[in-house]
Parts: sequence; C-alpha cells; structure tokens
Amino acid sequence: MINVQDIRDTARDLLAKGEVRAVIGYRRGSRGMLAEPAFITSPEQADELVWDPTCFHNLSLYLVHDRKFLDHIRKNPGAPVAIIAKGCDARSIVVLLQEHYFKREDVYIIGVSCEGTGVLDERKLAPHLNGAQASNAAFDGDDFVFTTAEGEKRLQAREVMADRCLECRIPFPKEHNAVFGEDKAGRQMEAPFAALTRFEEQGSGERWDFWSHHFDRCIRCFACRSVCPMCYCDECVVDSITFPVTTETTAEDKANRVRWIERSAVRSENITYLMTRAMHLAGRCTDCGECERACPVNVPIRLLNNKMEREAREQFGFEPGASIGGPSLVASFLDSDPGDFIR
Amino acid sequence: MSKKRTGVFVCHCGTNIAATVDVAKVAKEMAGEDTVAFTKEYVYMCSEPGQESVVQAIKDNKLDSVVVTCCSPNLHEKTFRDNATRAGINNFTCEIANIREQCSWVHNDKAKGTEKAIKISRSVVRRVNRNQPLDAIAVNVTRRAMVIGGGVAGIQAALDIANAGVEVVLVEKQATIGGRMLQLSETFPTLDCSQCVLSPKMVEVKRHPKIKLMTYSEVQELTGSVGNFQVKALKKPTFVDPDKCKLCDECTAVCPVVVPNEYELNLTARRAIYIPYAQAIPASFTLDESVCLGLNPIVCGKCKDVCEADAINYDMRPETVTEDVGAIVVATGFDLYGQENMGELGGGKIEDVLDGLQFERLCSASGATKGHILRPSDHTEPKNVVFIQCVGSRDPAKHCAYCSKICCMYTAKHAQLYKHHVPDGRAYVFYIDIRSGGKGYEEFVQRTMEDNDTLYLRGRVSRLYRHNGKVRVLGTDTLSGQNVEIDADMVVLALAMVPSKGTTEIAKVLKIGRDKDGFLAEAHPKLKPVESVTAGIYLAGAAQAPKDIPETVAQAGAAAAKVIALLSQATLSRPPLIARVRRSHCTGCGMCVDACPFIAIRLENGKAVVNEALCEGCGSCSATCLRAAIDVKNVTQLQIYEMIEACLAV
Repeated sequence: MINVQDIRDTARDLLAKGEVRAVIGYRRGSRGMLAEPAFITSPEQADELVWDPTCFHNLSLYLVHDRKFLDHIRKNPGAPVAIIAKGCDARSIVVLLQEHYFKREDVYIIGVSCEGTGVLDERKLAPHLNGAQASNAAFDGDDFVFTTAEGEKRLQAREVMADRCLECRIPFPKEHNAVFGEDKAGRQMEAPFAALTRFEEQGSGERWDFWSHHFDRCIRCFACRSVCPMCYCDECVVDSITFPVTTETTAEDKANRVRWIERSAVRSENITYLMTRAMHLAGRCTDCGECERACPVNVPIRLLNNKMEREAREQFGFEPGASIGGPSLVASFLDSDPGDFIR
Repeated sequence: MSKKRTGVFVCHCGTNIAATVDVAKVAKEMAGEDTVAFTKEYVYMCSEPGQESVVQAIKDNKLDSVVVTCCSPNLHEKTFRDNATRAGINNFTCEIANIREQCSWVHNDKAKGTEKAIKISRSVVRRVNRNQPLDAIAVNVTRRAMVIGGGVAGIQAALDIANAGVEVVLVEKQATIGGRMLQLSETFPTLDCSQCVLSPKMVEVKRHPKIKLMTYSEVQELTGSVGNFQVKALKKPTFVDPDKCKLCDECTAVCPVVVPNEYELNLTARRAIYIPYAQAIPASFTLDESVCLGLNPIVCGKCKDVCEADAINYDMRPETVTEDVGAIVVATGFDLYGQENMGELGGGKIEDVLDGLQFERLCSASGATKGHILRPSDHTEPKNVVFIQCVGSRDPAKHCAYCSKICCMYTAKHAQLYKHHVPDGRAYVFYIDIRSGGKGYEEFVQRTMEDNDTLYLRGRVSRLYRHNGKVRVLGTDTLSGQNVEIDADMVVLALAMVPSKGTTEIAKVLKIGRDKDGFLAEAHPKLKPVESVTAGIYLAGAAQAPKDIPETVAQAGAAAAKVIALLSQATLSRPPLIARVRRSHCTGCGMCVDACPFIAIRLENGKAVVNEALCEGCGSCSATCLRAAIDVKNVTQLQIYEMIEACLAV
C-alpha cells in the first residue's frame, strides 16, 4: 500500500535540492473526485500531490509537451523533470527513450506500482452510485472506497477498474529512479487481451457491423492523438493540416506534400485515420488506454491497438517498452522471425 | 513546375505482350494523358530501329521525359536510359512500365489484360511527372578482391583474378585449401588423379605474390558496397607457427587426444594436433583448440615439449582482420545430404553403408586404406558392392526435389574404380535415370556398363539391413518387374548435394539471397548466372547449384572475369536513387538507422543523415518511418500516392 506522503516527501526533497526543475504528478481536480495533472515547481507545492484510483492520466504526454513546445524557450535544459509514472506510463517513457525523444538523464521517474489494483473506469462507476456524486476516491487493499453525500461506498476494485488494468501483465514500473509500492507482477485478473479475444469470437459480419457503427460515429476531433504520448510527430501523416513549416522546410518538401485522406469525417476517411494510427502504434503502444478514455464518442480504440500488440507478441515475442536499448518492432529483423507468409 | 512533355513508347515484344494486351489501345489511352506529348507502338522497341526511333522522337518532339512500357526494368531500363542520354535528356527522367512480366505473361483475358496494362502505364506516366533529373554518383574503387572458400572454385577464381594483377585475399575456413576436390580419388570422365591436378594450383596460390592466403579464418561481417567493401574476418589460432613447422610429425606421435578425422570422413582418427593431408597448403600442423586438453603445459604440453623447431605457441589468440576490397567471390561449396536423414536406408547406423565421399577416401592412394578398397567393419575386400543413385535427390515429398547432377557420373566412376581394384568383384548400380550430358560422359557410363561388367538395375531400393555379416539390399528392378534381393559386402550411397553449412552462414553475413533449396541465388537464371543479387558479390561453384568440376572451374573463371572488369574501372557510377531526409519532419527516433540493411544512415544532432556512398535506395527506411520523413529520390511518397491513384482510376 502506497502512502501518498512518501511521494510528497520525495517530490519536495527533489525540488528543494534542485535535483529536478519540476515534478509532474496528480492533484485534486476541480471536478468532483477526479485527479488532474499537476506541474509542481516549488517544494511548498508538494503537498498538493495525490495518489488515488482516479490518477488515470498518462503523464508522459507532458514530457513530450515539455520537449516539443517548451524546449525552444529554455536556453539551458538544466535539471531533469521528475514524473510520477504507473507501470504502463513508465513503459511509454521507455518507448520515448528508445526513440531518442529525450535522454534518460532528462527525466527522473518516480514509479508507482498499481499493486493489486489499477485505476478506475468512470463509466463503470456510475451505475454503482445510483446517481450520487463521489467527492473522493481512495485505494484500500483490493477495494476502492468512494466518498459520497450519503457516506462511504466501498466497491471491489475489479468491478470498476479499467479493462486494461484487469488485463495488465506488468503493473510495476520497472524503469524508475525511485519507486513506491510492491511489484505484484502476474496478478492479472483477466487473461491478457481478454476483451479482444471476446470480441474476436464474433463472426466477421458482426465485427464489420460493429466497426462500421463506430467508424461512422468518429468525429475525428483527434482527442486520441492529442492525449497519446506516442503521437508526437510534428506532422501527422493522415492529417495534412499539421504539415510543419520550419526554417528547414524546402520548396521540394512543400511541393511533395501528400494528402493521404480527406478532411471530412466520413467512414472511409475515419477508417484510414484510425487504422493508420493503430499501425503506427504497433510495438509502441503500452496500452495506457488514454485514447479510449479521451474519446468523446466512445470509439473502442483500445481494441485496434490491442490487436497490433497481440500480433507483435504472438508473432515476434515483442513487448513494447521492455528496455531502452531494445530493438523496435518495425525496424528490427531477426532470421528467426516468422517468414512463412513470404513466398 | 512547368508541364512535362512525356513520350510513351509501347512495345509489342513480338507477341509476348501483343497477344494479351491491345497495345494500340494502350498507346491511344496514354495519348490522352495531360503531360503526354508523343506516343508510339512498335513490335520490338529494344531492337536497333526501335531504339533509334525513341532517340529520334525525343529530339523531334522536344520530349523531356520518357516512359517505355515493355518488359521488366531488370532487362531494359539501362538500354532506354542510355537512349535518353543519347538524345540529350537526363537519363533518370526515363522510366519503365512493366506490362510483360507483371501483366501479359500472367494473364489470358485480353480485355482485362489491356485494362491492367493501361493502369500500369498511366501510373508510371504520373510518376515521371515528378521525376527529378539526377546525376550518377561517382565512387572510387578499391582494386582488391576477396574470394571466400578455398576449394577448386575459390582457387581458380583467386588465381585468375591475381593473374590479372589484382590483389586477392583468399579466405578459407579449414586449416588447408583444397576443399572437396582434394578429398576425391580420381575424376570422371578421364580418371585422372584429383590431387595431382589440384595440388599444383594450391602451390601456385601459396606462392602467388598477389594472393594473400588466410586459412583457418571466417568472414564475420560485411559493410560497404560494390567497389568499397570492408570485410571483417576472424583468424582462428592454429597454435603452430607455419614458418617454423618442419612437418616432422613428432607432435602427433605424442598427442594423447584421438578424435575422428573429418578429412577422412571419420573413417580414421586424428590427434588434437594434426595436418589434414600431406599436401595441405599451408604446409603446417594445426592444433584443434576444441579437443586439445587445454593449451596448458601443466595439463599436457607434450607436443610443445617434443617440437624441436619450437613452432608451437599456446599463447596465440584469435585475431580480427579487416580487409578493404572492391569485389567478392563466394565459393563456399557443398556438403552431402546427411545419411541420418535417410531412415529407410539405415539412417547412417548400418556398418559398411558409406557415402560417396567416404568411398572416394577408400579409393584414394592417400586415404586410410592406402588405396585398397577394404570395407570398414572387418577390413576385408568386398566382393559384392551395391551403389545406389539419387539418394535424397529427386524426392520432393521427403527430401530434395532437385537432381544433384553429378551422382550418375561419379557412381559410374565408383563402379569402374571398384572393378579396377577388385576385378573379380560384382558391382550393382540402382538408378532412376542415367543423366550423362557432358563431353565424354555418356561414353564413360557405357564403358562402366560394358567394359567393366557393372549391373545397372533400374529401380529404387526400399530397405537396407544387416544380415549375416552382410548388408541386405531390398530393391526393385522395374525393367524386369521383379523384386531384387542382394547380400552386399558394402553399399555406397550417392547422396544429394546440399549447400555447405558455411554457405548458409555466409549468406546471412553477406546478406545475399538463397534459393528455395538454400543454394546461393544468382541475379538472373540465364543472363547473370555468376552474379549474386548484391552488386559486387559474385558466385562460383557448388554453393550456387550442384555442378561438376569443369563447370565449377568455368564458373570460377567467369566470376573472376566479372571481378576484373569491375575493378578495371577507375570510378564506379552509382545510381543516385538514394534516400533523402526531410529534416523538418525527422524526430531522430532512429528506426531508419536500425532498418537500413546497408548501415547507410546515422543520427547526427538528433536527425537522420544518409551516407550517399552506402545507400542502395532500397526504401526500407522510407517504409519504416512513421513520419514520412525519409524518401527515396524519384520514388517519393507523393509519387507513390499518385501512382496508386492512377491505378485505382480515381
């Protein structure tokens, strides 16, 4: 069981000693029980930090933002940024390090183990509260405890946990500078890819109907892309308006711009967008589930990314974010790779 | 960008294309394209008048780009690009649309074939709209060559190249050069002694001032490209100084370690310190580290004590050598398909069932039996010997599908040699067909049958087993329709030829392709039989396909000629179709660096940088990059997009 005070003490200490220039963590949000990302730059703010079942955000996104949008205004990068990272978040950071997006010494990882539980899926909670609003959520062993106007409501964590947490194989942040909580690997409550397996038991007709429905509903607001730490490209190849014009952009680059899909949010273009995104996340997605959580129309994006993750695992034994120096899925080749499909 | 003036030249290829594609319609459709200023169809565009008409049309119509819709660019891309140059325009504005291999040859329906040919042609017309004029890249050439494999193929190639004045590094994995041929006794169809013809060449290799011989060495890594390869080779320690060794043989007398002698196909034993053959080149002993008691004077050290020349040095260590060469010949030879794979013929467990190479050693004057044919189990002279052909060959269901080509001939030779050694013996040969194409070959087989009284039985052998001190052979004679049962003193299997283990390894190291049977793949089955698919790497001998000695020597000579021609150029021109980084899009993730098979990309200040001398333009980087930040010149993302659009007729 993690004592949040330990996290606060560590953050305060790091800032006070000047070992980090900021701590990215969670604090109480402005809406109900939900935590929100916090950017702490002075030791006094450390007590704002919280750790509870609503800390679902993958904060590594803000490491990307830090480099992408703030790098240019910082003359001297100086000290690293500390970040609070769950198992999946820490693996995202490893992928970013693998891709040289920043250096290991630029980040101080304060790992938090999800131990026996995971984070909440808000959509699963509502039916249990009968319309009441929770003002606080807390871990307690295998349970989540919610505070509502009618008093405390104790629920088994597995009933309201996010699907990805139920299937999570590695709830412990292996890559870290400091870590809190126990390593309870192998505690998964559902088989890996259980939701995907259930989905794939259906016939192709049913699956097509399912996806047609969702691809029709996607409004291409790009929330999934915005919330994803892996979607850090300057130009999204399937969104031509993101084409970056910098001092290094040549006339030839401009002339050779490709518009792979049209801007209208219709099924064919939505399919291309979501499929291309899934392909580009193959071997990189660590199943933090943020894309699906951020989606305003509830497109089950995890199923697409999970499919790629499972293929990579079954075909190539590939685990995304396993090690910083490890090979990347799409750029590495081994003689032992399956090649029966090449004739 | 001003509008292009493209000329489209549609070839009939006789009826190769015209029979399945309405070429006139293709030309007419292309004339409707916005940028097409001229179209022409002709029966053989690659003929002299065809080529002249292309040059003339470019000049007369002020064309600035050319699309030739014909056969594969492998065949005539160069032809027509040269014509573009002759007509005074940049050759990289000329592209081929392949409507033969990728269309007419694989379709029957003329209407649909025509439709597809139009789509292919249109996509290439759209592609050249955005082609940039490019200049070839000139690179200097390293005037040195490497030959990998010191069998007869490697020896011949090395000598031919060295005799042209080019320095050659000959790398051999074993302790001596000579390869398989050195193991043979006499060779068909003349029955001349194999060692006698090969050993003068081996000596010549050793003495040649232009040949650097590296035995007991293995190639480990290849970088660079045609004209400028860097090859890393590991020189294993022999623990014996060849300059000091006097070949007195005292060391083997005291060595306590006895292991099977692989040079005698395990028919005899050798010591941990040994010399493969009396004629070995280099003439020196080798201490086999894998079986020696430990290179430790405290444990043993007998050989070092007895060596008066003080040639033995336990402190030798493996040494990595990097050689710069401009071209490479791979001649890594063959192995026999293992007897253990032939369960129905005893799987190698029946005594007195030998493979062809073992029989060669029995016949060889330098072999274990000093040239007397004695069966291994009791050292008696075998009076009934059964030779079985096509063992493992021509058996697509269970073994190798191909014909190993030389077995008919060497089995006939074996039967003759046997009859010469044992005139009162009986030789039987089981065969499926006799394939004796070659100068003097058919006559040789006839001599085996008629003058040497060998009984040829057409049929397969179903089973072998030990019976009363003999090997019982159960087979069929399909000509008389009867089952045959022979109690043989010895059985010799003509096992299939397979690529040597070293061939499999070297293909991975050099990244050269192999065919479905594992032999090294030639670049074109008819027109480039000695070139590998990688420029600057050539093939010789049985590593490429089963072949006999004259063919091997001929191929080695051909590979040498290719190397000499390549290295006689002062500079090589490399196609400028190489990768180019869009720096504004590159995030420096390094995936292209990992994906590049030519080690041509590196990261510099957080962005990918392409080494123009190494890039082969394969496009692996482009396919890997998530950001479309790296493109191959004249095959850009936009060009591909527009080609797809053209094919989908949007």
